[in-house]
Amino acid sequence: MAIRKIIETISDRSKFALVSIAYLFKQPKYLLIFLFSFVFFSYFLTFFRDGSSNWQLVWSGLGIDRKFELLGRVFPAMLENFSSFYGVTIIFLSLLQAVIVAQLVFAWKHREKGQQIHGASTGGVGALLGFVALGCPSCGIGLLTPLLTAIAGASAVALADTIGQIFSILAFILLIFSIIRLGYINYIIISSKNYKEEHAKSR
Amino acid sequence: MQRAVRIGLLVLVIGFLGALVIFNAINPAPVDMEVWNEQMTKGDKETAKHHFIMYTDIFCPYCDKFSDAVAANMEDFGNHYIKDNNILFEIRVTDMNYENGHSNNSRPAGQAAYCAAKQGDFWSYYYALLSKIYKDYHSRGIGVDRNSEKIPTLDMDYFYDIADDLESIDRDTLVKCMEDKETIAELDNNTKKAASKVNGGVPRFVFDKYVADGFLGNWNTDNDYGQVKLLMDAGLASK
Repeated sequence: MAIRKIIETISDRSKFALVSIAYLFKQPKYLLIFLFSFVFFSYFLTFFRDGSSNWQLVWSGLGIDRKFELLGRVFPAMLENFSSFYGVTIIFLSLLQAVIVAQLVFAWKHREKGQQIHGASTGGVGALLGFVALGCPSCGIGLLTPLLTAIAGASAVALADTIGQIFSILAFILLIFSIIRLGYINYIIISSKNYKEEHAKSR
Repeated sequence: MQRAVRIGLLVLVIGFLGALVIFNAINPAPVDMEVWNEQMTKGDKETAKHHFIMYTDIFCPYCDKFSDAVAANMEDFGNHYIKDNNILFEIRVTDMNYENGHSNNSRPAGQAAYCAAKQGDFWSYYYALLSKIYKDYHSRGIGVDRNSEKIPTLDMDYFYDIADDLESIDRDTLVKCMEDKETIAELDNNTKKAASKVNGGVPRFVFDKYVADGFLGNWNTDNDYGQVKLLMDAGLASK
């Protein structure tokens, strides 16, 4: 019974969240914030997609022109994400993160004085988990692997694979949860705003 | 209460990331500049000014992107880097993916690579095997990343058949070498040694004092060679 109620609540809040997201995206300012955030997160995750070699190249002795070349090479790699399932998960992760940023900006701008925004920290945890889960676990190359191997030895590479997959799933769950939560808050803000506007007109 | 749990979770994740960064900064893997297998090198060991090492597993897709790009641009790589900059290029083949339970093919591929080295032509066999894996699997999106379809466990003939196209490798000698497990001790020993030097993952590139993990490529050898050049130039620029 309790589970049914939870499912119903989630389902209702998801609908409200979708309505508020649609409202947000009709406004060019928030659509731009979303698009900018999407490109930013997509770039960032693609940069670290196949290990930390790009990061190591940025801090190497390469000349500034070569470093710009390196940073520029990530853009075509972003487009190639569409050609593999792993790449699509990166795009999807970036999309979710970008939606949260647009939602947060809206909620932050329209919140009551001193009001807390629930869902922001959950989104942050989701984004971080999505980041550390990146890499090629079948090669042991990942952002998690070095620390795990330090704790549990070389055998931890297999562990990094499992933990990476769990972190990926957790990241998606937390990000979606955060979107629903922020979307619901924004729905209340929008409804209240509309009510106030209509009330002001009818006076 | 909920807020405390959320903050705790956030602190935990940030702390974990912080520990990762600090660990990587203070624990560089030890560098071993002694050549492991003379056959798996290019360049003049006696006069080389630089030593460039690649730790690899033949069934690691990111390692293969690097090697395919080098093979397709061997003239430039050989002249511009190995010859002009006097680099000793060494490949350290491991079967880490087998040890980590990710690919049963890594072990026979590693054994075969060392058997080919015993016959004196590691490079031809290595590039022929990579080319075959690309044609049969990687070009079809199989075994290319974490979420793609896995390459099935291959029949031993997959590794023997390559010898048929190479004059320098005798098939019967290769079969005997594999069946008698003549190179398994060397493979195991090198995998064990590599495991302590690569923080768990391949490809790891060690160019004198410069180290890089992973390789961002897309199986387009022109594009990937651009990334190889960045890596080589970063190594040459390292102090």
